[in-house]
Amino acid sequence: MKILSTGKKYISLASVIFMLVVWKLLAMHFDSAFIVPSPEKTLVTTLKLFTDLSFLRIVGSTIARGLIGFAISLVLGIGTGIITGINANLDAFLRPVLVTIRSVPVISIILLALIWFNPGLVPVFIGMLTMFPFIATNVSDGIRSIDRDLVGMAEFYKVSTDRIVRELYIPAVMPFIVSGASSALGIGWRAIITGEVLSQPEFGIGTMMQTAQTFLNIDAIIAWTLIAVLISFVFEKSIRWIEGRFINWRS
Amino acid sequence: MKLEIKGLYKKFGKLTLFNDFNIEFQDGTISSILGPSGCGKTTLLNIIGDIVKADSGILTGFREKTISYIFQDARLLPWKTVEENIEFVLGRDIPVVRRKEISAQLIRLMELEDFADYYPSKLSGGMRQRVSIARAFAYPSDIILMDEPLKGLDIKLKLNLIRIFSRMWQADKRTVIFVTHDVDEALLLGNEIIVLSPAPAGIILKKQVDIPFEKRILESDYFRELKKSLISALGN
Repeated sequence: MKILSTGKKYISLASVIFMLVVWKLLAMHFDSAFIVPSPEKTLVTTLKLFTDLSFLRIVGSTIARGLIGFAISLVLGIGTGIITGINANLDAFLRPVLVTIRSVPVISIILLALIWFNPGLVPVFIGMLTMFPFIATNVSDGIRSIDRDLVGMAEFYKVSTDRIVRELYIPAVMPFIVSGASSALGIGWRAIITGEVLSQPEFGIGTMMQTAQTFLNIDAIIAWTLIAVLISFVFEKSIRWIEGRFINWRS
Repeated sequence: MKLEIKGLYKKFGKLTLFNDFNIEFQDGTISSILGPSGCGKTTLLNIIGDIVKADSGILTGFREKTISYIFQDARLLPWKTVEENIEFVLGRDIPVVRRKEISAQLIRLMELEDFADYYPSKLSGGMRQRVSIARAFAYPSDIILMDEPLKGLDIKLKLNLIRIFSRMWQADKRTVIFVTHDVDEALLLGNEIIVLSPAPAGIILKKQVDIPFEKRILESDYFRELKKSLISALGN
């Protein structure tokens, strides 16, 4: 895990300030809350969202969809990854499927899902389908990267099969699962919110964005965006924390 | 108890490594096997260790024995500490307290105390190989197979590892079969030195070295003569 030195931290902080200044300048230039609302106004709107009675339900629904989609893709992805990692023929068979899923535009899947599922389920399905290939390919690569010499050593010393799985295979694949999960969630949140914008479930960040757009509440769109970024950030940090906690053996 | 291989045949494709090959080893001694690259030394170890199947041949005394293997590369689990790596090969039928005792003892004997909770990524090549040796001795084996474990280490590290290994072995005299292509290593660490010919392998020369390890000086006349005869045997 990379730890930013204090010097670098200041540079990152400067970068955030830079973005805010550019934003402020753009707002001053256009001088219209309907095109670029000012950062202060947006911040106030964002803070107001927190006081909204249904705020928790809205954010909770989006997070729940994300987590359900993620959990399903994790289970399916690890399963597929193990199968394709072990069997080269199944890998050859499933690779094109995964590549296809990955290359299909998210919007196509959403349009189809809108026909197939009810509004609440569409974002879950979208999230699942966008995240699954990342985890599957990562796990598959992880399985194939397992050092055969280490397995040979363990077998030579008559270590039991269940211990070889628990103490050799799982720790070896773990970093791949974590990095797969990290890139999957990065893409996943965006896909889920896009799904919500189009499927309009009763509660959801995407639904709120769509409503705000209809009424030209630009500051609200940006405010919800900030919250989406925050959610993504928190989950990314959590994954990094898990990585640092459990994969501390890498130099 | 005699350890013996008789009438060994082994081919890899068109390459015949062993063609009616015979060899025997003395129990409780270190046999250094010298031979040119590609003569089948590693394959011989792998046949003894039952990793590779012989085409035919009779192995006497090996199958009922427990065997440790010190591989050319240390083969440590990167996510386990030095201590955990040593303990890894101890069966779960051994109580955890005893397992801890065994690994602690070997860590002490191999002079690894300061590194017990280090991960392999933090260790040098020589240190990693020391852990691999500790693991081999921790395992309750009768025979230890060694496949050029000192390859790629500088001379100082080599001598240091040989010193630690021979001291370790003095305290716990298992049968060691040590394969190398380095004459000095064989001289420093063999009760018996066997020189193999290029494939198909045959025994060219067999020498007994009765001088205790700590008194072996490669610059002495005795070892210089011995070395000469080994090199000329290897050259043929």
